[in-house]
Amino acid sequence: MASPEILVSCERLEVGFDRKALLPPIDLEIRRGEVIVVVGHNGAGKTTFARTVLGLLRPIAGTVRRSKGLACTYVPQAASLDPTVPLRVDELLGWGAIRRWGFLRPWKGRADRELGRTALATLGVSPLATRRLDELSGGQRQRVLLARLLASDADLAVLDEPTAAMDGPATGATFAALRRLATEKGMTSIVVTHAIAAATSHVDRVVVFDPGGEGIVVTTPKQISESPRFHALFGGIHHHE
Amino acid sequence: MSDAPTTGADVGLDDLAEIEASLPGHEVHDPTVSTIDGGPTWREFADGWDLFSDAVWSATIAGAILGYLSVYIVLRRMVFVSAAITQAAGVGVALAFFAAIHLGFAIDPRLGATAASLAVAALVSRSWERAGLTREMVLGLLFALTSGLAVVIGSRISQEAHDVQAILFGTAVIVDPGDFRALAWVSAIVLAIQLWWYRGFTFASFDPLTARVHRVPVALLDLVLLGSIALVVAQAASTLGALPAFALSTLPAIAARLLVTRGPLLVTFVIAAVIGAAAGVAGYLLAFFWEMPVGATQTVVAGASVVIAVAIRALVRLALRLIRGRRPAPSSAA
Repeated sequence: MASPEILVSCERLEVGFDRKALLPPIDLEIRRGEVIVVVGHNGAGKTTFARTVLGLLRPIAGTVRRSKGLACTYVPQAASLDPTVPLRVDELLGWGAIRRWGFLRPWKGRADRELGRTALATLGVSPLATRRLDELSGGQRQRVLLARLLASDADLAVLDEPTAAMDGPATGATFAALRRLATEKGMTSIVVTHAIAAATSHVDRVVVFDPGGEGIVVTTPKQISESPRFHALFGGIHHHE
Repeated sequence: MSDAPTTGADVGLDDLAEIEASLPGHEVHDPTVSTIDGGPTWREFADGWDLFSDAVWSATIAGAILGYLSVYIVLRRMVFVSAAITQAAGVGVALAFFAAIHLGFAIDPRLGATAASLAVAALVSRSWERAGLTREMVLGLLFALTSGLAVVIGSRISQEAHDVQAILFGTAVIVDPGDFRALAWVSAIVLAIQLWWYRGFTFASFDPLTARVHRVPVALLDLVLLGSIALVVAQAASTLGALPAFALSTLPAIAARLLVTRGPLLVTFVIAAVIGAAAGVAGYLLAFFWEMPVGATQTVVAGASVVIAVAIRALVRLALRLIRGRRPAPSSAA
């Protein structure tokens, strides 16, 4: 069986700011339908790496090649949305379907509205559709952002700490939903997270940013759960196949 | 009066007769009629409607479009951008006077205001990180520079100092038909683009990272938005004055943000536009009947709308608390 299509290829990629690399070079091929988590301590360069993969930041060195016509989306940290903007959930969802010059159509299409409704229902947050973001809790806001991801119909999604304000069951359900999207729709997810314990059962690969130790390690959840070094870094991790 | 160019913003009640005579299509009108017995009456206002209508419509249009744009300015924390652009518009008009008096070039003050505003908008929209400057640093520099220039240029055109003062603070009770037409056209074009690209402007403004990931042309949308603000502010500054242009481009959004607690974001834009238009007209009427400088009263009314919005919000919250306090506590069996 042929390997799934390569969506993003990082070659000797170095990421950072002000021409200063935060990490050693990384080689990584990201394939269709994969769920990859990026873990590491605060300031290790996880978000910088994710934004470089998306093309929001320029690499310090090396290259990032994205397949032609790749539709990407981004789920920012819930806290990054300005609470002073009186935005409604259905409006935020509507943006998820806008790509390139799609805003030239002044209103949402029927299909986009239906996608939004389905996405909210999938995550069990339909009653929030007409609520304003500043009325929602952090966890609710994150679920709304995930609903927008579902409605975006993207090939590749990068999620920045999508479960930071969620409890244990909601965190597990989020990773399970990403797994389902990967299996059913072939959507690839790169998830920057600290919730490695909840993620391991649902992900294909783990990228560990450990600048003080082994640099960058691309590994599997199973190896993570068996490595004393990673246990020391992230606490007890149990992997269930 | 010298041969220096005139704008609608440079006309006070005292100048009515002189300006009236210079405007084509207007009947000669004795200004003393409107100041008898403690101020003009509604009847006199209605009688002079031909003369005042352009000014009232200018205040309405400028208030509405600036009020609409003020939502972006306030929610994107760009109030200083608006301040720098309005200041630049004032400098542009003053430069037009300077060029006419000292250099012999007859430059339309509207053109001066537009060029200076667009220049500031262009400088603000680009990234200065490579020069080691943040947007705040650039804004601080531009605001200080344009403020200083306004005074410096003003000192060199002392014979027209009254006019420059009028441009900066706005004392117009009548508006030049050319200024009115320019304001109306620019506002119509900007509003059409704003409504057509509404989803793009809001997406790029309030979730720019995701918008960039979706390959939405965020930089272009920002440039068009800033350019729209610059164009409208320039026209409003040369028609009404820089001070009311600044006030109407910031305060309506603050009032609307306080008042609108439900509904989509577009409701905030609409309410801000209504508050802006109301402040423009109410300020004009206040100035007309109490014989005060128009720009200042428009600014005060726009400011009062914020105070009223704060009071309404506080009253509504108090009422809700009282209503909730009177409700019986839910029984433990429920």
